Amino acid sequence: MIAMRRALFSVGIRPHLRWRELGLLTIVALTLVVGWASLQSFRSGQLEMGEASLLFTYLLAIFVIHTAFVITGRRMDEILFPTAAMLAGISLLLMERLPQDLVTQQILGRELGLADVQLAWTLLGFTVLAATAILVRSDGWLRRYKYTWAALGIGLLLLVFVFGEVTGGARLTLVIGPISGQPSELLKVILVVFLAGYLAENRSLLSSASTRVGPFRLPPLPYLLPMLALWGLALAIVIVQRDLGAALLYFLVFLGLLYVATRRASYVVLGLLLFLAGSAVLYLAFPHVQDRVDIWLNPFTDPQGAGYQVIRALYAYGRGGVLGTGLGAGLPQVGSVPSIPAIHTDFIFAALAEEMGMLGALGVLGLYVLIAQRGFRIAATAADDFRALLATGLTLVIVVQAAIIAGGNLRVVPLTGITLPFVSYGGSSLLVNGAVIGLLLALSDRGVEPPPPDQRTSMSSRIGRRARRAGGRLEEALS
Amino acid sequence: MDVFSLSLWGLRILFVVLIYAFFFFVARALWRDLRAGVAGAGRPLARLFVIEAKEGRPEPGTSIPLDAVNSLGRDVNNSIVLDDSFVSADHALLTFRGRAWYVEDRGSTNGTWLNGQKVGALLPLGYGDEVQIGQVRLRLERERGNE
Amino acid sequence: MTQQPGRRDPWRRFRARLRGSFRPRAVATAPVPALRPSAIQVAPPRIAGSLMRLALAVAIAYGALAAGLGYWQVLEANKLSSDPLNPLVLVAARQAPRGTIYDRNGNVLARNVGTEDDRQRSYPYLAAAPVVGYRSDIFGAAGLERTYDAQLTGLVTLRPGDELLRKFRDQPYNPSDLYTSLDIDLQQAAFDLLGDQRGAVVAIEPTTGRVLALASNPTYNPNRVVDPDAGRDYVAALREREDSPLLNRATQGLYVPGSVFKIVTAVAGLGSAAIGPETTYENQPEEYDTGFLVDGFRVRDSRRGVQTDHPLNFYEATEVSSNIWYAHAGLDIGADNLVAWASRFGFGDRIPFELATSPSQVNGGDGPLAGFQDRVELANAAYGQAEVLVTPLQMALVASTIANDGLMMKPKLVDELRASDGSVTRLDAQGWSQVIDPGRAQAVGNAMQLAVEGPFGSEFAGAAKVPGVPTAGKSGTAQLGGEAAPHSWFIGYAPADAPLIAIAVIVEGGGAGAQRAVPMAGRLMSNYLGVAR
Repeated sequence: MIAMRRALFSVGIRPHLRWRELGLLTIVALTLVVGWASLQSFRSGQLEMGEASLLFTYLLAIFVIHTAFVITGRRMDEILFPTAAMLAGISLLLMERLPQDLVTQQILGRELGLADVQLAWTLLGFTVLAATAILVRSDGWLRRYKYTWAALGIGLLLLVFVFGEVTGGARLTLVIGPISGQPSELLKVILVVFLAGYLAENRSLLSSASTRVGPFRLPPLPYLLPMLALWGLALAIVIVQRDLGAALLYFLVFLGLLYVATRRASYVVLGLLLFLAGSAVLYLAFPHVQDRVDIWLNPFTDPQGAGYQVIRALYAYGRGGVLGTGLGAGLPQVGSVPSIPAIHTDFIFAALAEEMGMLGALGVLGLYVLIAQRGFRIAATAADDFRALLATGLTLVIVVQAAIIAGGNLRVVPLTGITLPFVSYGGSSLLVNGAVIGLLLALSDRGVEPPPPDQRTSMSSRIGRRARRAGGRLEEALS
Repeated sequence: MDVFSLSLWGLRILFVVLIYAFFFFVARALWRDLRAGVAGAGRPLARLFVIEAKEGRPEPGTSIPLDAVNSLGRDVNNSIVLDDSFVSADHALLTFRGRAWYVEDRGSTNGTWLNGQKVGALLPLGYGDEVQIGQVRLRLERERGNE
Repeated sequence: MTQQPGRRDPWRRFRARLRGSFRPRAVATAPVPALRPSAIQVAPPRIAGSLMRLALAVAIAYGALAAGLGYWQVLEANKLSSDPLNPLVLVAARQAPRGTIYDRNGNVLARNVGTEDDRQRSYPYLAAAPVVGYRSDIFGAAGLERTYDAQLTGLVTLRPGDELLRKFRDQPYNPSDLYTSLDIDLQQAAFDLLGDQRGAVVAIEPTTGRVLALASNPTYNPNRVVDPDAGRDYVAALREREDSPLLNRATQGLYVPGSVFKIVTAVAGLGSAAIGPETTYENQPEEYDTGFLVDGFRVRDSRRGVQTDHPLNFYEATEVSSNIWYAHAGLDIGADNLVAWASRFGFGDRIPFELATSPSQVNGGDGPLAGFQDRVELANAAYGQAEVLVTPLQMALVASTIANDGLMMKPKLVDELRASDGSVTRLDAQGWSQVIDPGRAQAVGNAMQLAVEGPFGSEFAGAAKVPGVPTAGKSGTAQLGGEAAPHSWFIGYAPADAPLIAIAVIVEGGGAGAQRAVPMAGRLMSNYLGVAR
């Protein structure tokens, strides 16, 4: 054993076994195999696995990633990855179960249906996850160029404003040549990076200084500008892009981060007041916002029109009950009419709750809570403020997004169209959420250390240094 | 109810049960961490397992409990005394700094080796890593129940 | 060797070294965490502490989501699953053969025809349409097919706890057959007698409230409604027709009752003790000629030679159907009492029933006298004119209540649900309210018997008599004003001493009660009791 280790060490490989992760991934694999079997057996009417190459490709991929973590000797959190793998696996089961013609794509002359496309995106997303977790060994590139990141984010947003394609009344999709994506997904990460950098730097000032207005002790006004700017940004997104979900997500994540950084309830109260004021203005000024709220309050006034989607989702919960109908036995469509429009994206939670029942849906919600627990723990033990805030923000991005869309599906809050992380169909979402979990893993790595200083100046390091210098100048100019 | 639908329902319920099994195992892991954290107050942070000691002191196979800061050397004033002729009086320092262990050499004659690499600067080490001081080979080990 | 204090303490020594030359080297982008926090001018709160509160907020949010799930998937699940708009109902109808509907003698009123892939409903008796209704994929459902839709498809059984178990059955749906109290022969006879005239017949078993017949003419052909090809055109044409065949006149048609309402007035009078059986009105014989002047309005009786020699008492007034006597009685009873006693029969509310019903009314409801505009309206209402509007079902219930010694039973159509798994759910007869005490109900009943069998009464309503069986009843001629022919009414029951059937018959524009409704009722009751005429 020791000889083997030594041999591996000598070629620069320092494996670090991750038993806990292996065990959890085994449960994930078992779960998915059982789920797959129940789906295919229901379909064919006899006990069988059916054509399961999709499932086994996915299982192979997650064990390959696990092996990669082991071989590279990462000492990272061992629970986050299996959790994400469980969510994405359940997503694949649901996509396999839904009508395949909801999404079709021609790739290399082959016509791929919903499940195949989702598998492809999931694999890409997990590649991003693994690459981020393994390769990111320093957060300097995030920490140092926060204004650059912010500028990049704004630029991205402007691109969408100008060139975005309108789908379903919202201007969300950016199409560049053959590639299309929803930059709002990427923007959320950029925003978290910027906020973490900004708040880490100004934390002590924000949490202690104050401006007196009469008897009130208000937070230091000059430092509130970013808050107001973000509020404005959220409003702009709603107005121009009609993307209520993203705006809500950004604002909530921002409030959460601000509170964690300063522990001042006054910020939260102020933020919520701003939020209420903004909502009121939007409600009065924009019919589509009014519609959303009206549907939320009274879907049954127009069951065949505006309330259709929400009511159909409610029926799905009713059909599911406690145990669910079982995978495949639900009713995502009657004849050729989909039971719930956008069932594979915005309403995947309803599909899930119908076929897996209340118990299954609670389990899925629990997986998000688990991500929250791990993320907050990583934040709590982080080496410094920036990392702590970054971890908090990244965690919130996933957890709050899941809560917003699940709440919308359940009529707990008005419905806004965003994805359920890792479960909804959608490439941008899977890639970005993969990167988010990857970053969290990298942050959790107790061995994240720079490699020993290299004495030789290689070509690449010279280029790197020059790039850093240029970046520094850009950063100075921006801040 | 025939065998098929019975087993189909078995599969469906097993599916949900397995999701909860996932939580169970996670919860067990977290609970162990928590308990270790509570109980860990009076307990060592980690242990050094003596793999090999040419001169028999310390005895191979024993494990030495570690504090946050541990000095290693032949001098009896070190917190861990390595009575080996190739070990300097004040040989090395093994410290736990918040979340990782670090080893550094204190200017010893024969050097300190981490996994076969000579320790120059302050180096981080993880559980399972091997430190060689003189003719003594030690392995850093997780304290049972500790993360 | 002297030990320096603390010399063994590694911390002490380490800190001493920190002050000296010890420096961690090779600090690149991520600094090695220092053992002590670097000095900041104002130490901000620890992040871990705020994180706990943030985690709490997240936990609350997810708790709310879990509560939402529980609400929809446990508390509301049953309601959502049987909502007729739920596609599940459509699918269940495709997957499981819908239950059959039977009449009281086992005749099939509704059944499935066609192949397994293309099931359709078939209705062998067109006469049953107002009761059974239809079930169509295009138009939804009506009648019992609508009321018991969930049970017929087997989505919902009436037993608690079945909801969860249903999923584990081979056959997830457990459709029930409906066993109704309808007598299809009586129902058919009612339609035959109505012929091409608009009208309605309701027959009830007085002791149980079971509905024996419920006819509404004209009606529609449910087989054509459910026809997947021609159904749309047929229904469109039905909707165009001015005689509204889709309206169930028996439960939703509102008619002026005329003299049959006098039974309600009698119950209000005797019940409130405003009148007694021997009550007479001194001026009544004289008013027979001149009319009874109420605040400028003259209440008149039709000319019948028998009423002038002495003031009529309650029995006589009912037998000859004196409007003047009842107008006097109505004024004595008063607006409040009349409204209150009518509401004991169910006036003013929808009658709880398996088919949709309209509420009957005693007055327009917007006047100062408990809803009456003035005493004139009250006096006219007392003999069933003015703003009194009733459904045939309501009047059948009035007759049935008198027949059942003042105890009104809840009207019902379905006796039993037999699920395909063999379980049987009985829907037992339920008393609804004791409208009036048995003694006074008896008095009203005696008056009604006189109205059919008495020497004067038989002139009007004798045709309702079931040969050899004591029969009670009251005919009515509802004046509609202007040139329009009056509605012909009859309510009654037989045998008068041990009632088996109570009936209400209305023929729209059928003229005097004696002309159409009375003989029809007689025929129907005789048929039902098996007495040849």
